[in-house]
Amino acid sequence: MKNAITRRDFLKLAGALPLGYATSRLTRPFKSTSALQEQSKNIIVIVFDALSAHDISLYGYERGTTPNLARLAKRAIKYHNHFAGGNYTTPGTASLLTGVLPWTHRAINLNGKVTPPFIDQNIFSAFNEYYRIAYTHNGFANTLLTQFANDIDEIIPRESLFIKTYDTLISTLFKNDEDIASISWIRNMKVNEEGSAYSLFLSHLYEALQEKRIEDLKPLFPRGLPTISQVNPYLLETAIDTVGKRLPETPQPFAGYFHFMPPHHPYRTTTEFFNAFRDDGFKSPEKPPEILARRIITQTSLSRMRTEYDEFILYCDREFGRLYDQLESSGILDNSWLVLTSDHGEMFERGIAGHGTKVLYQPVIRIPLLIFEPGRTEGTDVYDLTSAVDVLPTLAHVTGQDAPVWSEGRILPPFMPSSSDRGIYAVQAIDNDPNSTLTQASVSIVRENYKLHYYFGYDEVSGEEIVKLFDIRSDPEEMTDLAFSKKSTASDLLNEIKAKLAEADEPYLR
Amino acid sequence: MEVRALSHSITRRYSIQGLWSLFLMCAFPLHLWAMILIFRDMSWVIERTNVWDAIGVGSYGMIRAFAESVVVFVIFSVLGFLTPANWMIDRRIAFLSLLVILLSAWGMIAQLLFLWNVSPPESVLRFLAESGHPVRIMIAASLAIVTPTILVPVFLFLRWDKVVGSIQELSERLSLLTMFYLIFDLAGLVIVLIRNL
Repeated sequence: MKNAITRRDFLKLAGALPLGYATSRLTRPFKSTSALQEQSKNIIVIVFDALSAHDISLYGYERGTTPNLARLAKRAIKYHNHFAGGNYTTPGTASLLTGVLPWTHRAINLNGKVTPPFIDQNIFSAFNEYYRIAYTHNGFANTLLTQFANDIDEIIPRESLFIKTYDTLISTLFKNDEDIASISWIRNMKVNEEGSAYSLFLSHLYEALQEKRIEDLKPLFPRGLPTISQVNPYLLETAIDTVGKRLPETPQPFAGYFHFMPPHHPYRTTTEFFNAFRDDGFKSPEKPPEILARRIITQTSLSRMRTEYDEFILYCDREFGRLYDQLESSGILDNSWLVLTSDHGEMFERGIAGHGTKVLYQPVIRIPLLIFEPGRTEGTDVYDLTSAVDVLPTLAHVTGQDAPVWSEGRILPPFMPSSSDRGIYAVQAIDNDPNSTLTQASVSIVRENYKLHYYFGYDEVSGEEIVKLFDIRSDPEEMTDLAFSKKSTASDLLNEIKAKLAEADEPYLR
Repeated sequence: MEVRALSHSITRRYSIQGLWSLFLMCAFPLHLWAMILIFRDMSWVIERTNVWDAIGVGSYGMIRAFAESVVVFVIFSVLGFLTPANWMIDRRIAFLSLLVILLSAWGMIAQLLFLWNVSPPESVLRFLAESGHPVRIMIAASLAIVTPTILVPVFLFLRWDKVVGSIQELSERLSLLTMFYLIFDLAGLVIVLIRNL
């Protein structure tokens, strides 16, 4: 049976009662002078949602999207072949936070939750001696943080860093069904953005009131204010400043997880970067339309969207640079491991835009990973294949703890010697029952220079399997399918995936 | 004393039956439009989440439609006080119903133009761009189209009792259908409550 009052409940009560307030104040200095502080460094994990390594100049992208990262990376460990666990927020974030792949944690549906063992087996429980603090703009990531709430000392309320608008009312009023209530709110009221709305009259009135409320900020964002799936406008600057000011005041050692929405769609950059890449002559390679695409988007539209996305990355890059500088000047970085990564990527090719897709091409799963080690003055490049599930065991290791036994990841080089004896997986299984075997899913495996895509159970191909093989070293754009010309490699990798799938499905066989 | 005067003024202009009829006429187009778009969006939501979530999206929509119906009803009821005091109650209700129908129709047409991807011919767009005052011209053109479509039916209403009778007949026919919509609202409320438990 669960305890009547959990640690989190107690903390909530402590915040509500004057005595509790005094108590928590009194305990902080005690905590900060504990022996733990002498040994342990803080941990700061920064996630920019939907940030693809494919569009980061630091990783070789033609457009200069990340000048600040380039400046800071001279002191960081850069992982050049890092992969997300999934291709959208829920599985990608859950893999980062639990250190296991989506077929294990089973947060596979939109706004899904991890399976019970991982409620207590995650990055926050692994750092249970630390003060754990978290924030996310993203509703799906927030669902996971709420699931892990017993192991988090402080979750900064999501709405607290939104611009105060009438949309906030929906998040507050329908807290338990926020996601669907927000979707419905968009369809009911956002007549200007959507072009149509369920409401014939109030929608116009609402939009007029809303516009008035954010009038001062509108000139700063020519494409409109950044929003969380079209409701709840926010400023990344607000979140960055909050984290930058909050961390130096946080009891140490702390483990902080901060998950920011940009450059997730809608791609709305500031005036500073608006049209920065317009007509710059950049041309993405044209690729054949994908059979699993929901609908084919024209190349012209894809190019336009990619330009807007790239300009939004510039905004993220500037703000990360600002956060880094704030933390550095406060002295926090002298004593902290800082990780910059993403939950998944974004793609603009093969007729597909975004990441809500069944496919697992490089842009949608290859993500950045930079680790800033306290005291490090020189950069290091790591070209090994690495996965989001490696982050948790690595952070545990570098802070002097044992890697969690449940994690499927490994301690990353240079903290452990390199090894190439494993495949790196990404899993997409959005339409499956998390408590059953997977019947319709996409899995990719990368081993050495080969990457195999495996799709099964999809109606578009009448349930047939699709297998594609690419040599991502010589063909990073995945243009030439080698599944037929390199049959034995394809077969080996496919067998490896199927064996892993069978293993992951084993607990769900009835 | 003032309360009594107000009450007298209301009862002179409206009856309970008349107000209920007006409410149903306000609710009809708002619910109809909401339901058309809810069904249109259904597959989109199901594809991304599941049937229960799609029902959830619709349920919030129905509650909003009910709330909007109340707001529109209150506004039109107040507007009814601007009509001549010597009008019969039924005539006033029919007149207000006519206005609701006309405005709702324009609200729907404006959105349908977007949904059907209807845009002015290239030559018109070029003229607007070259005019130097595209917004002003568009507003003037919109008024030139919309105003007669309101004024002509109003004129016919005032001129011929047959039109009044037609509106009343239409109102009676739509009442039953609108009652069904209100049952959907109730179901929507129950679903929203369950989803938020």
